[in-house]
Amino acid sequence: MTLPVVVTELGLQRASFALGPVSFAVPAGGRLAVVGPSGSGKTTLLRCLAGLERPSHGSITIGTQVVADERTNVPPDRRGVGLVFQDGALWSHMTALQHLQFAAPGLSPADARALLQRGGLAHLEQRRPDAMSGGEAQRLGLLRAIAPGPKVLLLDEPLRSVDVHQRDSLVLLLRTLADERGLTSILVTHDRDEALALATDLVVLHEGRLVEQGAAMQLLREPQTAFTAAFLAGAACLPTTADGTTRVTTPFGAFDRPAGVTADLRLVLMPGDTTATALARGSTALGATGRVLATLPAENGFTVRVALGDQIVLARSTEPLAVGSPVSLSLRQPARLLPWDRGTSTFPTADSPTAARR
Amino acid sequence: MKSVPARLPLFAALAFLAVFVLVPLAVLAAQTVLGPDGVTFDAWRAIASDEYLLAQTLATLRLGAAATAISLLLGGGHAWLTTGRDLPGASWLGPLGVAPLVMPPIFIAMGFADLGDVSGFWPCAVLLGVSSAPFVAVLTARGLRSVDGRAYESAWLLRGRPRAELWLLRAIAPELLAGCLLAFLFTVADHGVPEFLTVKGKTWHTYAEGIFSRWNRRAVGTTFAELQSPIVMAVPFITALACLLWAALRLRAHAATGIVRPLPVRHLGAWRWPALLVPLAYLGAGIGVPLVVLARWVLGSAQRLEPMSLDYARQSFAKAVDQGLPDLMHSLWLALGVALFVVLLALPLARQSARRWPALDFLCALPAAVPAILLGIALVRSFHDSPWLRALGGDFYAGWGFAVCGYAARFLPFAALTLAAQVRRQPVAAEEAASLVARSPIARALRIHLPPLLPATWSAAVLVFVLALRELDLAVVLPAANATAVRRLANAVHFQHEDWSGVIALLLLCIAVLIPLLPTLLAGRRLSSLS
Repeated sequence: MTLPVVVTELGLQRASFALGPVSFAVPAGGRLAVVGPSGSGKTTLLRCLAGLERPSHGSITIGTQVVADERTNVPPDRRGVGLVFQDGALWSHMTALQHLQFAAPGLSPADARALLQRGGLAHLEQRRPDAMSGGEAQRLGLLRAIAPGPKVLLLDEPLRSVDVHQRDSLVLLLRTLADERGLTSILVTHDRDEALALATDLVVLHEGRLVEQGAAMQLLREPQTAFTAAFLAGAACLPTTADGTTRVTTPFGAFDRPAGVTADLRLVLMPGDTTATALARGSTALGATGRVLATLPAENGFTVRVALGDQIVLARSTEPLAVGSPVSLSLRQPARLLPWDRGTSTFPTADSPTAARR
Repeated sequence: MKSVPARLPLFAALAFLAVFVLVPLAVLAAQTVLGPDGVTFDAWRAIASDEYLLAQTLATLRLGAAATAISLLLGGGHAWLTTGRDLPGASWLGPLGVAPLVMPPIFIAMGFADLGDVSGFWPCAVLLGVSSAPFVAVLTARGLRSVDGRAYESAWLLRGRPRAELWLLRAIAPELLAGCLLAFLFTVADHGVPEFLTVKGKTWHTYAEGIFSRWNRRAVGTTFAELQSPIVMAVPFITALACLLWAALRLRAHAATGIVRPLPVRHLGAWRWPALLVPLAYLGAGIGVPLVVLARWVLGSAQRLEPMSLDYARQSFAKAVDQGLPDLMHSLWLALGVALFVVLLALPLARQSARRWPALDFLCALPAAVPAILLGIALVRSFHDSPWLRALGGDFYAGWGFAVCGYAARFLPFAALTLAAQVRRQPVAAEEAASLVARSPIARALRIHLPPLLPATWSAAVLVFVLALRELDLAVVLPAANATAVRRLANAVHFQHEDWSGVIALLLLCIAVLIPLLPTLLAGRRLSSLS
């Protein structure tokens, strides 16, 4: 049986940090990633879900059971959740087999061995964590988490201590085991690739606040905030200045402010939104001007990294451009003007146009 | 939240701390203002006019400072020269740095007193400095082992060898400071050696000794103020020492931990052979001289037997079995009981202070800052003729149970602080992972929390065992502990019983050495694991 997870207005107040309020829901068997930079509160959120921290307000419901609210705080071992820790957090004095037997008292030695076999660790059943590689230790951490048969799997940056070569096999194992057991999984990470590999939906956190949530691909292609665009898609977000009440000025010229948006806006340049052309000596640039940092071959031309003020813009070019040379950048798409994040701005509604008119 | 049964060990340990440390000290403090005629501040007023008391306290502080300097030179020097150095025999001389710890200070004093005149300030400072030097040696060696060799090499490359050595000294400063503080505490708290040297002709007195001597004269008409004033003086004294201990603990807590690359071997150059003098002087004074003197006693030296003979040694052994074996067995069982009890108390306290309540360290450290003789007097005053203890049935106060509790109160800091440091080194995440597993708190404690602490638990138990075996100050005061070997030996030498006393002393040392060596001998671990 799979269980949904519902988080409602969850918050945690500390002396130097505040999380929330954060609300989201993960359907039974769903895969959600909570993403954000360091210090955004994602690990704190995960610890609240696991029961290792008690939220100051809000509630967490797993299936039909409220596991945390103002009056309730179900202990971690009675929530039916498994947690894969960032660096394994294995028990240094126990062998791989002992890990599973302690984590799941009802598991027979044969079943424990079968699970180790499933995780590709059969040959390491008598080894202790200090004799394992980072990837093997993380596999054991995963097996330990799922051995008792949790309904919800929580993952705290599970790929962080795993080298590049072992990442893919661990991702495959994670997805396979989660699918086989119908686990609802919630991952926290600051790594976009890790999030996209393991989740279908995303929640974006910034400084303890929920910035945006939705389907991963939707957020990647059509972010509603400049922060999400910068964090997930590596977009450059150029500051703008208000030009009256209805227009804003950017390095690429003045644009109409999107309807209904009153906050400070950024001009969001997704990779490939601009074209870079060499700027001949004495000529005048049509758009913004920057300096080439690197040129890399790409499909149908080149990708050029251009320094524009303190931002890096990934532009397209039909010819290789010399490093250090000045270039002119022009927009290939309509300008995308977005508020930085939802906490400081009026959030555009779903049907309001974010594409600005020049 | 943990359930109440899961917290029972912690509650029991806190109750023990309250009953056997806080209550006795509070009773003692209260009694300084509760005179025979009601509330009186006579004792406090007496301090200002009591020049003798002030002189004692100053003499104690001078003695403490001098002995600590000697401990630093000998113990610190020993560790500095044998850890990561090319000193000849460093690999086995290094672990031996801990060896003088098994030698009771009174044995060292008896040994040196047998060789010549030890009256005066400096001989006493040397004796106490030598007996406290193992604390500095062990902590310095530990500090040197925890320094990252790459950081040392960086300092060497950037600033040259002499500056790198200075950097290293600064890196281990917290350990050095903690070791010196322990040496200072043990020196100023020691009443046995100054008292022994008084018999040998000393003309000055120390603070701990003063407390005991006035308390001892309470039956011969000494006034309330005279009796209480040394104890009153103890209040600011203890507070200052406890604050120092607290500071040292905090400093140590901030010292770098984690996996490090060992220091590279640092060459002594032309000093390689001359530097051997420091470890040899330290080990010679700490164990060599006392052992030789004890062996000579066994052979009949104190009885002016010329030449000394093995036949006489056999007679000494027979007399020891006849007259001293029960005391030795009492000492052994008491020390084993104390070590076990202290570890059981220290484990929950250490976990609590490391994970939730750091201020508990301060409370646990308090008995270490109190002169043992004062703690003993506090225990006697609080529990002598106590209706609580009578309610327990039997004569608990005069029995071994009370002695075990008194010793445990005295030595709890050494186990609790050692284990708390070890708990802090364990990753919290591993314990959190265990909290997600549907197991009982006892299963988690036994299977997850305890195993990584076992080596440190064994070390703490051994330390407490050795300290209990050599304890003289509490043995003088607590009724059941009067029958320990160290107490009897301190008396026996006054009555020309050195021959069989020497045998008992050597057997006591054998026990003190063999028990800590047991796992090393059984498991074939390296000697360096001792320290």
